[in-house]
Amino acid sequence: MPKPKTAPPIATPTPPTPTPSKRRKAPKSESEYAAISAQFDAAKSAKAEEDALRDAEREKASVLEWQREALESARKASYEARWLWTVGVWAWMLCIHVVGIGLFTGGFLLARLVLDDKSSCDAPPTLNSTTRRGLDILGPWAGKGTVEGGCWHPKTFDRAVIVLIDALRYDFTVPVDDNAAFHNAFPFMYDTSLASPNNAFLRPFIADPPTATMQRLKGLTTGTLPTFIDLGSSFAGTAIEEDNLLMQFRDAGKRIVHLGDDTWDSLFPGYFEANLSRPYDSFNVRDLHTVDDGVIEHIFPLMRRKGDWDVLIGHCLGVDHAGHRYGPEHVEMTKKLRQMDTFIRDLAATMDEKTVLIVMGDHGMDEKGDHGGESDDEVEAALWMYSPKPVFGRTDPQFISPPATAKLRPVNQIDLVPTLALLLGIPIPFNNLGRPIEEAFAGPTGKAWNNLAAAERTTAAGIQRYQASYSAARGIEQASVPGSPADLWTQAEALVSGSNKRDWAAVYSAFATYQQENLKRFKSLWARFDLTNMILGIAIMALGVITLLVYVASGGGDDDTAVDDPELDRAEKSLQMQGITADEQASASTSIDKRIVTAALVGAVPVFLGGVVQSLVSGASDWYRGAGVAVLTSIVAVLVALFRAEEFVFKIMPRTFWGWLAVVFTLSQSIGFASNSYTIWEDSILLFFVTTFGFVTALSAFRLPSLPDRYLSIYHSILFVLLGRVASFSKLCREEQMPYCTSTYYASATSSTSAPWQLAIPFLIFLILPTIVKAYLTPTRSYEGLAPVWIGYVFRTGLFLSAAYWALDAADNGNWVQGLPEKMFRNISVYTAQIVLGLAFVAGTTAFIWAPPCVSIITAALKPGKAQVVVLGHANAHGARYLFLPLNFLAACFLLSKPMGGGALGIMMWQILSLLEILDLNSLTTSPIGPIILAVLGNFHFFKTGHQATLSSIQWDSAFIPLFNLRYPWSPVVVALNTFAGQILATVAVPLVVLWKINPASKGVLDRVSRALGTFVAFFAVESLATMAWAGWLRRHLMLFRVFSPRFMTAAIVLLIVDVVGIAVTLTGVRCNTLAISDVFGWAE
Amino acid sequence: MPLVDPVTMSSSIAKGGVAAARSSPSAATGKATTTSSSPTTAVAKLLPVQLQQTPASQYTRHAVPALLAALFVARFQSLVADPVATMYSSLPVVAALQMAYALACLPIAGAAGSGGAGASARKPRPGDKKKTAGSGSSAGGGGGGDAAGRRPYPPVTAFLSLILTALATPFLFAAMVLFGAPLLTHPAHTLLCAAHLAVLALFPLFYVHGVDTAAWAAVAACQAPFDDTFGGLVGGLAGAWLGAVPIPLDWDRAWQRWPVTILAGLYAGYLLGRALGGSWLLWGKKF
Repeated sequence: MPKPKTAPPIATPTPPTPTPSKRRKAPKSESEYAAISAQFDAAKSAKAEEDALRDAEREKASVLEWQREALESARKASYEARWLWTVGVWAWMLCIHVVGIGLFTGGFLLARLVLDDKSSCDAPPTLNSTTRRGLDILGPWAGKGTVEGGCWHPKTFDRAVIVLIDALRYDFTVPVDDNAAFHNAFPFMYDTSLASPNNAFLRPFIADPPTATMQRLKGLTTGTLPTFIDLGSSFAGTAIEEDNLLMQFRDAGKRIVHLGDDTWDSLFPGYFEANLSRPYDSFNVRDLHTVDDGVIEHIFPLMRRKGDWDVLIGHCLGVDHAGHRYGPEHVEMTKKLRQMDTFIRDLAATMDEKTVLIVMGDHGMDEKGDHGGESDDEVEAALWMYSPKPVFGRTDPQFISPPATAKLRPVNQIDLVPTLALLLGIPIPFNNLGRPIEEAFAGPTGKAWNNLAAAERTTAAGIQRYQASYSAARGIEQASVPGSPADLWTQAEALVSGSNKRDWAAVYSAFATYQQENLKRFKSLWARFDLTNMILGIAIMALGVITLLVYVASGGGDDDTAVDDPELDRAEKSLQMQGITADEQASASTSIDKRIVTAALVGAVPVFLGGVVQSLVSGASDWYRGAGVAVLTSIVAVLVALFRAEEFVFKIMPRTFWGWLAVVFTLSQSIGFASNSYTIWEDSILLFFVTTFGFVTALSAFRLPSLPDRYLSIYHSILFVLLGRVASFSKLCREEQMPYCTSTYYASATSSTSAPWQLAIPFLIFLILPTIVKAYLTPTRSYEGLAPVWIGYVFRTGLFLSAAYWALDAADNGNWVQGLPEKMFRNISVYTAQIVLGLAFVAGTTAFIWAPPCVSIITAALKPGKAQVVVLGHANAHGARYLFLPLNFLAACFLLSKPMGGGALGIMMWQILSLLEILDLNSLTTSPIGPIILAVLGNFHFFKTGHQATLSSIQWDSAFIPLFNLRYPWSPVVVALNTFAGQILATVAVPLVVLWKINPASKGVLDRVSRALGTFVAFFAVESLATMAWAGWLRRHLMLFRVFSPRFMTAAIVLLIVDVVGIAVTLTGVRCNTLAISDVFGWAE
Repeated sequence: MPLVDPVTMSSSIAKGGVAAARSSPSAATGKATTTSSSPTTAVAKLLPVQLQQTPASQYTRHAVPALLAALFVARFQSLVADPVATMYSSLPVVAALQMAYALACLPIAGAAGSGGAGASARKPRPGDKKKTAGSGSSAGGGGGGDAAGRRPYPPVTAFLSLILTALATPFLFAAMVLFGAPLLTHPAHTLLCAAHLAVLALFPLFYVHGVDTAAWAAVAACQAPFDDTFGGLVGGLAGAWLGAVPIPLDWDRAWQRWPVTILAGLYAGYLLGRALGGSWLLWGKKF
């Protein structure tokens, strides 16, 4: 762009008027100058000597012009190069975070693929397994292949009564020679097993961790090992969707009645006979009796109406609650166990020969009465089966007496699944990994080896079928080396089909060996934390945080003071115009960026390649560890490279009060994540921090020397705090916050739609927010250029359409208008949403790239006879223009959040603007507190837009705001914009901390923005690191799956999103902004 | 700041404060260029409060904190059981104790020991050598009345300070709500907690500084020197702030109920801050 600036700028010291700065440049003045000079030339052309002089001058001027242009383009090129190096640093940072989080997650979040296959009655696995078809141990039986006769095995019982006594540890049920309160209080089951072994048996019942009730119920009904993430079709719901016992019961037409703990209801919605079932709230640990009394009260009438149900489930919670509340060593525990003893005694008396009674614990309890981990006491529960019909047997007379401790002859909890399925004649659920329990199939004499072998083989064939499907789905190769499951399977099948004289005991034990080996394989696949990877991940994240802090500390320096000195800039420019190349311009920070990227590559590439080659050679698939080591070496290389230049150890320590405040906000929260309470109440804590900051700045304002500044600063501080408190009324409570929290995000606690009055909130924002933004721009006369059109009309239109979208959506949901064509509202609202997103992202990005600075150039006559060009908006040229970008993102997020969330985001924008004023008035624009408070605001509004750090709070329905059906990759992007709107908006707004109220002559803008972004990202990186470390440390904690893991996942995803948005939007936006400003005002960078 | 004779020191520093205050209006306009300069020069200097040296004052000075602590400990069970009734019934006792403390120990607003701020330049004879440290011996405004020449009468000042304290209570209530205290429920809890905060932390300052704007500006900017009153304020606020920390924990303890922890933090912080602020460790020092 040709420069209108001709003569060296006149040095007019600016009088107090704050905003307009005088600069000799206007598009107009160029033509004027040309005309004048043409006249001038024409008039004086006669005079030869003057003509010559003129020529010389003109030549000189054109040389100057040429030099100036060369300097401008050199500066521009230098800027673009520096920008690329900065992006390089951030890309490297993103790599560190991806690898660190990836490694930790790989070792920590154990994922299991859920297969949708179901077992069916007429297709026993023995038929289509790798064995010979039609070979059957038992031969045909009456009703074979039907539920009436037994699908895969002759059935033994018609009905089952399952009593689950929560936290029934094995030693509670056997005689122990001491006086502990929890011993010898529940003798009935032991006594019956001993006295009539054909009617009952008692065995230790080992739970697979995690020993939380929900995970246990999954294991007890599916026969598989629950992991934290079961990668199935529905990620959000709690209902079990894979094949399970209850599903098989239901599909076989059996009627299921449930009494007690309501966890069953959320796992198996709609399974139970509604008029007979009685669910009870399971969370009130202080209440020992309501659930048990309810179960006991309702179970006996049902025992007299055996024709009304086929499966009866009673889940008692009293023992568990007594453990949680008092611990096992307490008289209440004794009372509870005695009550259970009487209950089971009475219940057994009501059994008939067609019914089996199963009493079991889902897990044990530790010495304090808690559970969730995998200590022996927690996993050792008891299992007792009883029937008046003598069907149970022992293969060895020694087994008649129940084991004295849980270490002897235990069965796995998943073994109940095939046992119960075969006893009741239904198919074994597809995912089952357990094996039949010996006593149930050994026959009264204990010699029915063929029956045992048949049951064991059927089960093993099911397991074999599952393993094949799982391996195929996951792409796992099945090696058949000796000792592998495949090998054991072949051996066992050979025993069945081999000779005529078959040793059924040997067949039985061969299939049992196969099952055990297979289970071991799957356990190692699913249920083990990989500590090496976890520690490696944590180490990478910790070093990443240190590097980030060093990077932040390495920037800045003394260039702040030079920024506002036009004289210095002019001198420097003229120096450069006299032939000094622009490379001299490359500041220290550029070379730091460059050095970091180079050192990172030098450190990472050889190690990474070496790791890949090594894993290829060795055949192990652990190349990702090579990536981890590569990241570590690259960090070390960078730190070494930087160490030579800077004494960074001292530089990363905060030196001001504000720096310490930033540290307190960041660290106290991160330390608090070690406690489930502080994690649960994070939203309140964030409000506390927001308010604290506002109060401190209000007090700090009293130190400002100028009274107007003081009042303004206090005003903005109070406004900032008030807005935060107003936003805090938008709440979506998580389960653990009950009963101290009331959700306001939706119309009621049980709905996910907005109340009619909430629909007014977006309209309110539409009315006032553009005016508010304008009010923050007018003091610097920055409501110029494109701003009136964009903010006053386009942005406002976007807000209006968003508000209209939510009104239409509510009208559609509520059927407010009758008699319209179907889907009319839906169509209109989706297209409205698409228009808003088009405005925000397509038109918005275009406008942001091409918009001129928000300035206006007028000619004012300050002195008589001397016209002066005044640039309105010069003082905030960078900030005002950049503001378009956050506003565009706000418009999009505003649409994608529910009405309450939209209100919160509007408030957030207002808070950000106030924050900018506060920072500017208190001279805090270079302090770390600005980006940190932005980060706190981002997290705060994450909660205020109806989210919590739980999986269940993800608003999946937001994917359908702008789309009719799921479309990749857009649907996940929409959900991410809905979920992390607060943090994304904060990330986009980070440069404003630096850019707000600085003029085009400011230097080192990119450098300072990148450092501010560094501080901002450091907040999230520290949170990620902390949640990661705590989740790893507390991996045996009761609340791991409810509190710590979800918080870690949230922090990790937020960090990655912030990194990506920081590079793709923030840094790119700053580049566009600087290009646009510098093209008009000349390159200061 | 060395611990020198408070009277002479007050005279010299007060003049410096005046000079700085006078120069500040001219400096105020140049904010854009001089923001990073030390702002302390622009704000009036405030002197630490010098307690009265009478034996009664010495006794009261130590007795009142002990009594406050004893009262809090004695009433703690009842506070946990019924916060509103306990806070309500103990408020007059606390106010009376604070009043006794103010009357016996603190210099009255406008008196020499109260540390005249910039505004005290308007008062006659700031730093008059004849002044003793005794209360009411010098001219100056009472808590509410700043008419020069009228002798301040301590009980009236104390009473006026109490009224100012009461007027400040709703603002503290609002502040607590802004920090996240429940707005729609527990209003009595929060208001009484705010009242205790006001009586403990603000009342002595009202008694000492009255409505001296410059002094209050220095206090708000945390540029006041540490003494019994300012130390108590800082300690009380910090204690109440930290008192919020145990609330979210899921310990199911009765004492976690609102606002017991805030009140406990307030009392502990106030007593500690007052003791430290008045001790050789911090007295006269600044942030």
